[in-house]
Amino acid sequence: LSLLQQLINGLVLGHAYALIAIGWTVLLGVSRLVNFGHGELYMLAAFVAWYAIGPLGLPFPVAIVLSVLVGALVGLIIQRSLLRMTQEQDLVSIMIATLGFGYVIHGAAALVFGASAQMYDTPLSMADIYIDDIWITWQDIAIIVVTILFFIVLKYVIDHTRAGQSARMVAEDPKLAELSGIDVRRVYYMVFAFEGAAVAFAAAFVAPRTPILTSMGFEQVIMTFVVVVLGGIGSVTGSYVAGIALGLFTAFFGAFVSPAYTTAAVFTVLITVLVVRPGGLAAKAGDR
Amino acid sequence: MTGLKLVAAIVAAAVAGFFLPSLAGGGTQIYSAFVLIAIFAVMSYGLDVIVADLGEVSLAHTVFFASGAYVTALLSTETSAGPLVTLLGSIAIGLAMAGILGLLTLRLRHFVFSLVTYAVAVVALNIAENWSVLGASDGLRGIPAFELFGYKAVTDAQLWPIAYLLLLVTLYVVYAFRRSKLGLAAMMVQFNPPLATISGHNPQIVRLQVFLLSAPISAVAGWLYAYQRAYVSADIMGIYFLVLMLTAVVVVGRRFLLGPLIGVALVVLQENFLSFGGYVDSIVIGLVLIGVLTMMPGGLVGFVERLLVRIRSRSGETT
Repeated sequence: LSLLQQLINGLVLGHAYALIAIGWTVLLGVSRLVNFGHGELYMLAAFVAWYAIGPLGLPFPVAIVLSVLVGALVGLIIQRSLLRMTQEQDLVSIMIATLGFGYVIHGAAALVFGASAQMYDTPLSMADIYIDDIWITWQDIAIIVVTILFFIVLKYVIDHTRAGQSARMVAEDPKLAELSGIDVRRVYYMVFAFEGAAVAFAAAFVAPRTPILTSMGFEQVIMTFVVVVLGGIGSVTGSYVAGIALGLFTAFFGAFVSPAYTTAAVFTVLITVLVVRPGGLAAKAGDR
Repeated sequence: MTGLKLVAAIVAAAVAGFFLPSLAGGGTQIYSAFVLIAIFAVMSYGLDVIVADLGEVSLAHTVFFASGAYVTALLSTETSAGPLVTLLGSIAIGLAMAGILGLLTLRLRHFVFSLVTYAVAVVALNIAENWSVLGASDGLRGIPAFELFGYKAVTDAQLWPIAYLLLLVTLYVVYAFRRSKLGLAAMMVQFNPPLATISGHNPQIVRLQVFLLSAPISAVAGWLYAYQRAYVSADIMGIYFLVLMLTAVVVVGRRFLLGPLIGVALVVLQENFLSFGGYVDSIVIGLVLIGVLTMMPGGLVGFVERLLVRIRSRSGETT
């Protein structure tokens, strides 16, 4: 396994991590909400895409749209149930309720899609490129390109549009934002729908890389935590950088040290950073 | 009720509780359900003091539960240690792990604390599934039957007295904790950290102490679970036990002493006697958890209390 190959793997993985985590980053940044069902949403969206492409035989772009719609819908349903807790900022109940949602999604997906591992291909994942002994698929390249575009558009929307402005105002002070005429509830709905849609979008692109299982959500979500915390809570640029760093770390650790203990190693990094800087790498000194 | 009468009533209830399984029919399935209720309730009480008294959500208590079970399995199979030694070993590992985790997360609060404890659970699961010392994905088998001072417990009916005693001791510990200085300090730290500091409590030390109290409780539940199941594997750190614990802690009512016990009993009885199959059961338990959190902020107890108040005020209007 050459160094260059691992570098490429790490970059692809890193963009995948960043894209999977972006919904959470925005959710946390704007609504100060957390979603422990995030991993299960990823799993659900991956299975929707698989079902659309495999059993239904639909084209890949249609599968993406279906996944995103399901993700957004589930996000809206979750936000609807959390509304009172959101307004009271009852974080303890929110965390437990989103874990409950994850558990329901897990049970429902296992019931509908079965417990066996599935694989699906897209026209891009079947097209490989070999340069000497370096191997990459068009799907991998698509992940990188799509992630970069997604982050650029998102950054633009947050910084330069009315919707982004409303979201930033709610993030700063929901009560004052309400007074200045912003429909805070609508912003909360929008943000949770975005969280669901974004992770579903990510799942449609990333899931073809590995076999998918309905039980994968529990562990899947951990990389998102690490990206969000290391990137500085709620920071879009920070989570992009953290995603890439995490991807490179996982690729190299997995290839050269031990693939079985990658999660443990990533966790050690997370703990070290948190002990030194409880607010994450991007936090200003004295913050949080 | 005077103090003496209250004590007599509690003793009577405790004695009556012991005979519940035989009153319920006393079959193998009944005893097995009751033993599991006692064990899982003890496990949940460990988390209860963190959620209800500290106001934090620890997602690592499955790991404390599992470490008690793994230590029991290792000690009893490798060194043929008896239940007393494995009990001490379980408490020790619970304390050690809570100490390390408590120190590492000393400055973390709210969701960052929960994220890290969730990560601990996933990493511990990962390690247990891969490390040969812990039996990797096969788990550890061949745990001998529980045998202490000549009492041998092979069946669930024979394990019941031990499980019930463990439950009573745990209830007493949680009750005593809530009336202790530490219990009061924990509530202050939860609702008003500056006030806690003014009254001479260091919030970080209080949090660490409560953590050190809570972990051995869950670990001791793991100790008995190892004997009950006779083998230990990584699945006890999975999402099922996590959701079971959280449901037990919030569904009935927070800081209501019998809450976790009733919560666990509802779940275990449903799964054992009214099951719709594993996946549907997990949808049911998840929906109950969400339903209670969204519609009954005070849990079932709070809901009933408000209902009673409404009924009373209505009957007041009519008279």
